[in-house]
Amino acid sequence: MNFKQGIALMSSLLAFGLGAEAGAVCTQTGASQADRDLWNTHGCWQDFFLWQYQAYGLKSGDWSNRGWNDACNVSLEFPKHWNASYLLTYGMLDNFAQSFHGTADYRGTAEARSSNFHDSLYHGITDRTDVFGTFSPRFWPWDTDKVETACPLYNPNASNSNPASRAGDYMHEGWHANFDKHNINNGNTGGHRPGPQGSCTINGCDYFYFHGISKYAFGAMWENDGTANRFHSPNQVQVEFLCDVSDQSQWWIPLSVRQTAAADANSRAVSRFINGPGYSCGSPRPW
Amino acid sequence: MQSRKWRVISHAGAAVVTLGLMSGSVAFGADTRPGSEQGSNIPPSRVIAGRKLHQPPGLSGTGEDARKSVKSFVTWAGQSVVEEQGDAREVLRSAAQNPDVIQAFTEEILEAHKSGDSSRALVALGLLGEMRTYEGAKFLAEFVRMPLPTKGTVIEGELQEEAQQARLQAKAVAGIAYLRDPEFDREVLYQVGAHPSVIVRAEAISAFLWNRGDSLEARKEVEQYVRREELLFLDRVRRVSGETAETFNRKLTAYLKAHPEVQAPKPEPKEPRPPEEKPYTFDVTPPKF
Repeated sequence: MNFKQGIALMSSLLAFGLGAEAGAVCTQTGASQADRDLWNTHGCWQDFFLWQYQAYGLKSGDWSNRGWNDACNVSLEFPKHWNASYLLTYGMLDNFAQSFHGTADYRGTAEARSSNFHDSLYHGITDRTDVFGTFSPRFWPWDTDKVETACPLYNPNASNSNPASRAGDYMHEGWHANFDKHNINNGNTGGHRPGPQGSCTINGCDYFYFHGISKYAFGAMWENDGTANRFHSPNQVQVEFLCDVSDQSQWWIPLSVRQTAAADANSRAVSRFINGPGYSCGSPRPW
Repeated sequence: MQSRKWRVISHAGAAVVTLGLMSGSVAFGADTRPGSEQGSNIPPSRVIAGRKLHQPPGLSGTGEDARKSVKSFVTWAGQSVVEEQGDAREVLRSAAQNPDVIQAFTEEILEAHKSGDSSRALVALGLLGEMRTYEGAKFLAEFVRMPLPTKGTVIEGELQEEAQQARLQAKAVAGIAYLRDPEFDREVLYQVGAHPSVIVRAEAISAFLWNRGDSLEARKEVEQYVRREELLFLDRVRRVSGETAETFNRKLTAYLKAHPEVQAPKPEPKEPRPPEEKPYTFDVTPPKF
């Protein structure tokens, strides 16, 4: 056992001791209009959530008091989690002439299975309120990467508590997993560059690697050639996904979902990139 | 965010399992299934087909009736789809002369904002902006000038309450610009430089330009107000719904040519990690929509 593993073992015993503290949950008093509007398009589709929990590697223990056995209660975390998965699984238009990327890319990034996008991962949840989500790479060779989403994506009064922003975080955290698979160092500030710097106004900053539309075949977003010409950063993948929800989603996606996606994309695009703002999307026309 | 703290705890969890201190399996697929007594077996394609399109509720009445009418209209508009935007616009146009309806929209916006339901507030702000009324724009201007919160939850150095309000104010400033009125244009131009949030300043620039067909004259006019360090925003690439690759890529090429400084540096490699031992291979096709 080396020094790092020794520390991990000691920490594990500490964590085990703190286990009694588990049981806290996010605010479970309701859901945003965007969550409810999307929910109404499926009315709690059982076949889907029975597929989703496996596709995302969910573990019942993580979600037990968060709707695991009450999967149709949209006020709870698990139903909100699978509602966001439903959006990215069925809601994209996949128009090669207009979309940044396709369903294959967004599913590959979000879902648990090992692929070109990332090694195996699973989705957990945390009660933290100081993050939207986290990515924790495996330590032991037999361990699994972990994506956790946090209360600011579930609390009904939080601005990112909507299906597009939640799914957008699956992209962001999934892209940290992509960097681990492809051996990319994106910085030491939570996997980002320190900030503020350049046009980035927050603590964790990325670069935007601009690319045209139709430049990546659907399913090829994971590709990089080791240069800035063919590459994505976590915030960029998130912005491009949100823009595709806003402008390139299926006809039946409710406007509340599209508009919250555009608002998140546009605010993220002007505050998280060192080399100037990312694309803007949505329409400046109010409705 | 990549978490070091949670990585340690994750590793710790694995160690606990190894030592047999925890019961229960963590293997994929070994868990119990989620469930609900209310689950539906009807695929969404049938649920969606059952929703009647093009039936917006009316906007009318005075006092409490107007308030109820606006509430139900905002709820309908949130769940409406792109092909119903014309229906919403028609109803909004026909109600633009009703001061009680406009007043009710302002109350709905403030109520949704106060309750923290940003998605509902965003919808209501968009609808009021689309009405293009003097009183509505006056409210939107006041809304944009509301001081940003200074306390609350900080994520990655960003105060969430501030960002939440700024997103709504960005929607409001788009509504003001859409009126295309000299008096309110002055407010938009003022906010281009003066608003404390870059989220609002960026939207004010974009909306001002878009409402003038992105003309050279509009660019010259707004340029005087843009902060020096934000001049790049004047050329920012905007993707609009339905835009083809050809037009978008042409704009992007011109942007990158005019601003070579936005070229990102080469990505940095890091030490490879050992390959995973047990890849998770669940590859079942999602249920048919």
